[in-house]
Amino acid sequence: MKTVEDLNFYELLEVASDASPFEVHQAYKEMYQLYHDDSLASYSFFSREEREGILAKLDEAYSTLMDERSRSRYDQILIESGILQKEMQYQRDRKKLSPMSDAKRPRGNTALRIRDRFKPIVSSSPAIQDILTHDVLSGEDLKTIRDELGISLEEIAEIVKVRMVYLEAIENDQFEKTPSKIFLKGFLRAYAQCIGLDADIVANRYLKRIPN
Amino acid sequence: MNSINQYSSDFMPHIWPIGGGKGGTGKSFLTSNIGILLARQGFKTLLIDADLGTPNLHTIIGLSNPEISLSDFLSRKVATLEETVLEMPTPNLFLISGARNKLDISNLAHEQKMKMLRAISRLDYDYILLDLGAGTSFNTIDFFTLSDSGIFVCIPEPTSIENIYRLIRSVYIRKIRQVLRIDRFRDLAEKAEAQSQDAIIQHPEYLLNMLKHIDPEQGSKIERILKAFQFKLVLNQVRRQDSPKIGALICKIVEKHLGMRIQFIGNVSFDERVHEAVCRKESFVEKYSYSQATLDLKVVIKGMTGMTGEQAVSLSVQSFT
Repeated sequence: MKTVEDLNFYELLEVASDASPFEVHQAYKEMYQLYHDDSLASYSFFSREEREGILAKLDEAYSTLMDERSRSRYDQILIESGILQKEMQYQRDRKKLSPMSDAKRPRGNTALRIRDRFKPIVSSSPAIQDILTHDVLSGEDLKTIRDELGISLEEIAEIVKVRMVYLEAIENDQFEKTPSKIFLKGFLRAYAQCIGLDADIVANRYLKRIPN
Repeated sequence: MNSINQYSSDFMPHIWPIGGGKGGTGKSFLTSNIGILLARQGFKTLLIDADLGTPNLHTIIGLSNPEISLSDFLSRKVATLEETVLEMPTPNLFLISGARNKLDISNLAHEQKMKMLRAISRLDYDYILLDLGAGTSFNTIDFFTLSDSGIFVCIPEPTSIENIYRLIRSVYIRKIRQVLRIDRFRDLAEKAEAQSQDAIIQHPEYLLNMLKHIDPEQGSKIERILKAFQFKLVLNQVRRQDSPKIGALICKIVEKHLGMRIQFIGNVSFDERVHEAVCRKESFVEKYSYSQATLDLKVVIKGMTGMTGEQAVSLSVQSFT
């Protein structure tokens, strides 16, 4: 087990070395929630000096990884010391042409990694597992799961490329504002996949509430 | 070999010590109501009031004056611990009431305590739930040596969280000591102690690193043993305005900074009627079977027993039909 002092910035934020700025931002938000001065969860676990030390390192990690130049310099240090492999470095413009068959999956690694990040939380959260035992899912259920995972609707809209108005309609059960059933199913599947849920289960159980 | 290790080397996941560090976190409420739910599901369940000196589990499950208790076993009025078991009105539910006399405890010799722990480990039940006393005294912590499982209970208040960290740290240190007393790790433990005498007490989080540095193979084995513990955390009396994520965050802090894996198995909602049920000596889960707190307790049981979603639904249906 490494101590906080021994962790590099990626390990500290628990992100991959090629994490996108969006993922770094998400991870920082989660970590800040864990260590900030008024955090009930970490209250009394650390002395004031320890907490200040952790927060200072978190801030340094965030500012370094969010700035393209400083991140590149930091990565270079890790590469030179053999901690990081060059091909595992984040490169903003590194995008390969996708084959036509992948045209429906424009979301790339970020979406996959976010999904992978949420999956263990989904399977270990009693509150989420309890909701998933329901035969029928409501917009409120989906919102509860999303809140539990700590991702905003705007972030989901950005990842899955679905307009906010439709996602809000889904969560608010405003069926008059949702698109036709076939499109709605597609949106529900994208929403579910994005937060690490089974796309078919979510879509089918949600659509049970909509009459033909 | 140390007397504890003679029986603790056997893996006995059915024994669940339930501790909270602080009084008023609802340990007895959770123990009794989880016990009732498990018994109604058909599991032969024994509740042991291990709050030595100040027992009251019997009152919470509606038994005013138990005719026999742990005191009778400790004072050798009865020969076996089985003789102190009381059958409860709920089918499959049994109770060993706690030692009533403080003198029984203050005079409890080490060998007597070992005898009691050995006797508990030999009882034949599907689940044995131990309602532990508040605090981090040896009498409380030692019950965690009985099993590789355990439940920590706290409420979303700074004082309770402060004490739960203290309890978790104490239990972890106790478990590390227990593992290091196993014959094959003794040499390694002595070498570690020679390097830093207070490593185990002051910095359990660094101890593993030190052990792995001295002997990578044995150190990794100890790490695997420690990671196999099935400790759980329950957040009790959670109100609407409380963040539902606190429990998971506490587990994350413990894993990241203590190297101890604890699984968060659920929030139990605050319900004013708990007080009323305790005052009336009535079972909460039976009287308020469809309250949110009862539903939450079923989710907690799912986390303890590893039940699937379908089984949990079946539990909900069967428990009260």
